[in-house]
Amino acid sequence: MIDTGALISVFFLICGAGIVLALLIPDRGNPHWLAGIGSLASLVLLGVSGKVLLGGGSWSMSLWTVPGLTTLSLNMDRLSALFIFVAGLVFLPVSIHASTSLPRYLKHYSLRAFSVLYLALLAAIVLVLIAADVFSFMLAWEAMSILCYLLVNYEHERSEHTRSGYLMLAISEAGALAAMVGFLILGVAAGSLEFPALRSAAAGLGTGARWAVFLLTFFGFGVKAGLVPVNFWLPRAYSDSPSAFVPVLAGVTLNLGFYGIIRVNVDLLPMTLVVPGLVALVIGTISALVGILYATTNNDLKTMLAHSSIENAGIIAAGLGAGFVFTACRQPVLAGIAFIAALYQIINHSVYKALLFLGAGTVDERTGTRDLDKLGGLIRLMPWTAAAFLVGALAISAMPPFNGFVSEWLTLQALLRSAELSSIAVRIVFALCGAGLALTAALALTCFVKAFAMGFLGMPRSAPAGKAVETHRGALVSMGFLAVLCVALGVLPTYVIPVLSRTLAPGMGVGAAHALVPPFFAGSPGHKQLPRAFMAGFHNIGAQVGENILPGRGLVVLHRGGTANPVVFAMSTFYMAAVLVGMVLITWLIVRWLTRRRTVRVRAPWDGGVHRLRPDMTYTATGFSNPVRVIFDAIFQPTTVEDTRQTVAQHFRTAIRREKEHVHLVDKLVLQPVKSAALRLARGLAALHHGRISSYLTYTLLSLLLVLVVFLLLPAL
Amino acid sequence: MSQWVCRGIKTRIKTTHYPAQAETAPGVSPGLPLGGAYAAAVASLVNLCPTKAISPGLVKDSLIVDYRRCIHCFRCVRGATTPMRWDQGWQWAADGQKCDSVAPGSEGNRLGRVFAHSVHIIVVDAGDCGACLNEVKQLNNPYYNMHRLGFFLTPTPRHADILLVVGPVTEHMRLPLLKTYEAMPTPKRVIAVGACALSGGVFGPSFVSGAGVAQTLPVDVQVPGHPPPPLAILHGLLVAVGRQTPASITSPAPILPEATTR
Amino acid sequence: MNLSDLSQQMAQRWHDQVRVRTEPHGPCGEVECPAGLLPEIARWLFAELDYSFAGLIVEEDPAQWVLRYEFHRAREDVPVQVVVRRALAERTFPSISDCVHAADWHEREAEDMFGLIFEGHPRLGDFILHDDVWQEGVEPMRHKFQTSLAPPERRPNPHWSLRRIVQTPGAFAMPIGPVFSGLAESVHFQLETVGEDVIRCIPRLFYKYRGIEKIAEGRAPQDALLLAERFCATSAFAHALAFCQAMETIGGVEPPGRAKTLRVFLAELERLRHHVAAIEGICESTALAVAASQMALLQEELLRLSGALTGHRYLFGLLTPGGLKCDLEDDACQRAIAAAQDILRRLRQLEKMLQFSSSFLDRLEEVGVVGAKDARTHGLVGPVARASGVVRDVRKALPYCGYEAFNFDVPIEHEGDGYARLRILFAEAAQSASLMQQAGAALRPGPIHTPCPSRPGAALGWVEAPRGAAFCWLRISEAGQVARYRLMPPSFANWHGLHLATENFAFQDFPIILATFDLSVAENDR
Repeated sequence: MIDTGALISVFFLICGAGIVLALLIPDRGNPHWLAGIGSLASLVLLGVSGKVLLGGGSWSMSLWTVPGLTTLSLNMDRLSALFIFVAGLVFLPVSIHASTSLPRYLKHYSLRAFSVLYLALLAAIVLVLIAADVFSFMLAWEAMSILCYLLVNYEHERSEHTRSGYLMLAISEAGALAAMVGFLILGVAAGSLEFPALRSAAAGLGTGARWAVFLLTFFGFGVKAGLVPVNFWLPRAYSDSPSAFVPVLAGVTLNLGFYGIIRVNVDLLPMTLVVPGLVALVIGTISALVGILYATTNNDLKTMLAHSSIENAGIIAAGLGAGFVFTACRQPVLAGIAFIAALYQIINHSVYKALLFLGAGTVDERTGTRDLDKLGGLIRLMPWTAAAFLVGALAISAMPPFNGFVSEWLTLQALLRSAELSSIAVRIVFALCGAGLALTAALALTCFVKAFAMGFLGMPRSAPAGKAVETHRGALVSMGFLAVLCVALGVLPTYVIPVLSRTLAPGMGVGAAHALVPPFFAGSPGHKQLPRAFMAGFHNIGAQVGENILPGRGLVVLHRGGTANPVVFAMSTFYMAAVLVGMVLITWLIVRWLTRRRTVRVRAPWDGGVHRLRPDMTYTATGFSNPVRVIFDAIFQPTTVEDTRQTVAQHFRTAIRREKEHVHLVDKLVLQPVKSAALRLARGLAALHHGRISSYLTYTLLSLLLVLVVFLLLPAL
Repeated sequence: MSQWVCRGIKTRIKTTHYPAQAETAPGVSPGLPLGGAYAAAVASLVNLCPTKAISPGLVKDSLIVDYRRCIHCFRCVRGATTPMRWDQGWQWAADGQKCDSVAPGSEGNRLGRVFAHSVHIIVVDAGDCGACLNEVKQLNNPYYNMHRLGFFLTPTPRHADILLVVGPVTEHMRLPLLKTYEAMPTPKRVIAVGACALSGGVFGPSFVSGAGVAQTLPVDVQVPGHPPPPLAILHGLLVAVGRQTPASITSPAPILPEATTR
Repeated sequence: MNLSDLSQQMAQRWHDQVRVRTEPHGPCGEVECPAGLLPEIARWLFAELDYSFAGLIVEEDPAQWVLRYEFHRAREDVPVQVVVRRALAERTFPSISDCVHAADWHEREAEDMFGLIFEGHPRLGDFILHDDVWQEGVEPMRHKFQTSLAPPERRPNPHWSLRRIVQTPGAFAMPIGPVFSGLAESVHFQLETVGEDVIRCIPRLFYKYRGIEKIAEGRAPQDALLLAERFCATSAFAHALAFCQAMETIGGVEPPGRAKTLRVFLAELERLRHHVAAIEGICESTALAVAASQMALLQEELLRLSGALTGHRYLFGLLTPGGLKCDLEDDACQRAIAAAQDILRRLRQLEKMLQFSSSFLDRLEEVGVVGAKDARTHGLVGPVARASGVVRDVRKALPYCGYEAFNFDVPIEHEGDGYARLRILFAEAAQSASLMQQAGAALRPGPIHTPCPSRPGAALGWVEAPRGAAFCWLRISEAGQVARYRLMPPSFANWHGLHLATENFAFQDFPIILATFDLSVAENDR
């Protein structure tokens, strides 16, 4: 068995060698090398993190003791391993896909630069995840932020890309600063910057400090996670990033935000207050709703997926918030369930969002457009891409038997368990948020029906969309890999849940896994220890059928409410999938048998008998989502930019134009006030610069006086 | 709403008893001229007809009326010295000549027995003047109520068993008509309703109008009249499903040689 | 103002550039002017003298184009024709559709049928002959186009595309038809929208174009009458009457009094039946099933009444130039009047019930609003125009058949919405029943037919058809055949204004607006 530390060294060596190689190899061959090295590094990552995740035994090492400050140390526990594993899952197909999507930049932008930045980012991300003290964590975090900025700004000749990259950098720096202050508050209490010391000092922290740490880290790391109200950078950066990089942004760096939140608020400083959890829950629900509303009404494939990432981040945050509340209320099993739901959602989001972004990138590359109003009919031209995108779309809209269903089901179940809490106010907040998340799920379905139907079905709405051809095999393999993952994570949740529960802090996970996947079936280990009474409860609903024949964990997520709501929830995507496949097969066979002597005529779709059906006679994406736009008009508050009626002479209208501008809610409520306040402040300060020496001397004198007064008064306070 | 329910109940049943009993109300049918012996008036009557529906018969001093062409101009009655005899009935629907190989009236013109009490009909207006279409619409009113006989209108050809065509088939409607026929599942039958759909009427053939549906589609049942009254169309529908016997498209009916009827 | 006043005023304004003739073709004024002056005169007539545009008649003389722009007024006054002539080689005329917007489709039709070009008209082509079926350059109304020949080869433009007006991002044209919805006439709609509301409705008509005007040429008047009677069966009697009146003007005969009274009687019977059918359509569009079937009962009773009275349910084969083909018995007429009164009584009951059906009214009130100004500029006619406050009824303005002797009102409403149009239909149905009664009372024994010679000449015939004012222009050649038969039916005018009513209403209101607009495709498509 190879040592964990050795494997990690191998990973960093591969990254380093890759960077050197990328500098040496000419642009033309670079993407293929990148694909090779990137996937090799990802495989190593998968291996090492899988080893820690399944085998246990965290790994740690000290790098260097900075004199007078702290010891730089690395540590990979199961939580780190989980996030590293997910990063590997995303980086592997994305690296393969890069070999087909990068060559379009040849001769415009340096492909060497891309490879170097990409591999460096991979290394930085792993460093963030295994850093075990504040100093190295923040160091790695900064490196990661800057590399992200450089990659978002890869197509630097386009000014809007530079602008959105710059916005992202600025906001994430502000977030990092807030998070660092949060860490420092902990560090002051512990007298050290190393994580174990912080953890042990946490118990003695006062309420005010706890609130400060929570708010600073939640919103500080929430910037990367894309939570409302600090997410205005996200749609811009996602839609302007190169398609080879945006899956990483959505599938890995978004997770880093949640890693930070979980590391601090679950691992280092377990929640003892109820209200911060509610804040997280409400923020999550609002993020989910705002994200999905804008996703549904957006027609740019990439921007739409970006808004949908905000929605997913909201669901994750809601799960975490529920977990915080349960932790604070001393309900470790429920907290475990909520955290498992959140972690499951993190994994799922990484997988299907990477898949969808790769699909969107492929469509963009093949048709030259991402505008859903201009796409259409691609299912006939790019059947495999369409199939992969369909799997991703079904998964993200939480359709069984795909993975999104499992985590959203768990999240909603966790919220329903709030019935066992004593406070009525808390229960009301949970109920409202549950309703909000249910609405989100429905809108997500609308959104992705639109994305798939308008992108892939119907008639091509523009000439390039009609001439698209299927993409390279490499790209298909990478999308196929993620699609298979979507199915696997959706069909076999009973094998994933115990792994997830073990990543949680000790004392939290065991009960949760046991509650969700009890050893109910005869084949499961521990079946004998299960109390009779517990078993009997399930017998009432007929769950004992197959008790003795089903293998292993039984592939059923069984879950029983507490005394307050003794309801049994059971869900098995595996059997659902099996029944679904069986029913489709049987139906197909019956239809085949019934029509065995019939000739089937395939005729063109009925078009009302028009002489020529043109693409502009079919529904557009805008038209499809218009009802949502109309219903939620109060939230969107569009401003009419243009409402013109061009007329030739007096009575002939030759053109009616009606354009509405939708300023994003968060932009309007957060970004613009902040921006205008900053500008006002700057203008005010600029007024002081008028160039008169005498006034400048006065300023100096005044500041001197102020400092003196402060220092004189400070001891008195 | 209750007032409408009361009103509906108060109106009682208005529906005709056809096909169980004959309908005797006045004004349900404009009738059609009868052929046969007309002695000396033959030549003048032939000349009166603007659409050449009346022609001299094989038997001396007799007339044959081709109902496909009769447009109810009433010239052969009003102002004619010897008015033609008049058929006030409506059971005019006749079998169409599908193609040369199939004799009219063979089983090929009928929908199978399974359709006898549930037929979905799509109506295509291929240049109709509004009269035939309005008469088809009357089949839905309480006086005729074709639903009681198992006939239903459908707006989509995908559900239709019978294509009911009115109008002479204009140039612009030829492709939509063909597309509708193509979009229908088999088995399917075509009913041409009205003189225009049978012969082009006063409109066709011309540069923008055909001479009836038969130029475009195989016609299974022909319903003459200009327009055929609702009862005639109902008779045509019943003929198409084999619940009524077809009439002859000419008056008097041609006496066919033995060889062709067998 | 009479014609002499008009000619004085014109002489003051344009001196000897215009020539005014009185009664060149029956009771009608003719103003001949150079082409350049046409827009100015048209604007003057329309905007200052309150004339309405009735239609454009294009005639191809052997040497020149003759364009007759027909105007008439709401007051009792003769119609005025503005005539423009140009050599055949010159095909360009100024467009008047900017100032007189009702001429829009008339000019498009002339462009499609004759190949004339109207300068300043932004949307020519792809109108009657669809460009996805026919190539450019087919001009079927020209004399050189022979109907007897086989249909010309068709080479449609392979790059044909919709002419869309709405340029909003994400907008599309929702296609409806031509084969749709059970029993609708064949017409295609492009509803331009971004998803919920119809921003602009573009009806694509003439799927049922049968070339009536062309195939009438060269026929004997008696045979052309068959076409006039049969191109739109729901107002067959009205159009046949307009034809007969044009023939009578050319022939210089006056039908006997009994024939005129019977014509009024039958025309009002047709109007009553048409209005009942239109109300049925409105009830059906709002899915008020009982009301619709009650109206259907009334309609069938009126059809049977017509059938029993005249032998034909749609009043075919009754009219002939100079009178009627057959007399109606006075007893039968009295029975018909009694039956009509009974139908009217039930119609009034149903009207009351509809007024108390809130779900029904909700779908009609303030739906499909057409303002009076729009209705006038677009030249709307008939009940639709009267619901928007535009009084146009040629029975009052240009009385024919002795309508001046009868006592009747022209109902008018001002809201211009669907409910106003429904009220107009009910009120007019009552007026029609009253007119039938008056006509029945005025019936005196006498002849019903005066022989009408087929002299060469031209005349305008008009009638207030159930859907509004219908004009036709008839020219008889030296050989006694029809040389030009121009139809200006009311549906053609009202289809042109349909988009006014549909603008910014949701999809689900569209069928209702369409039903209240009471349009006939057959009447429009000709």
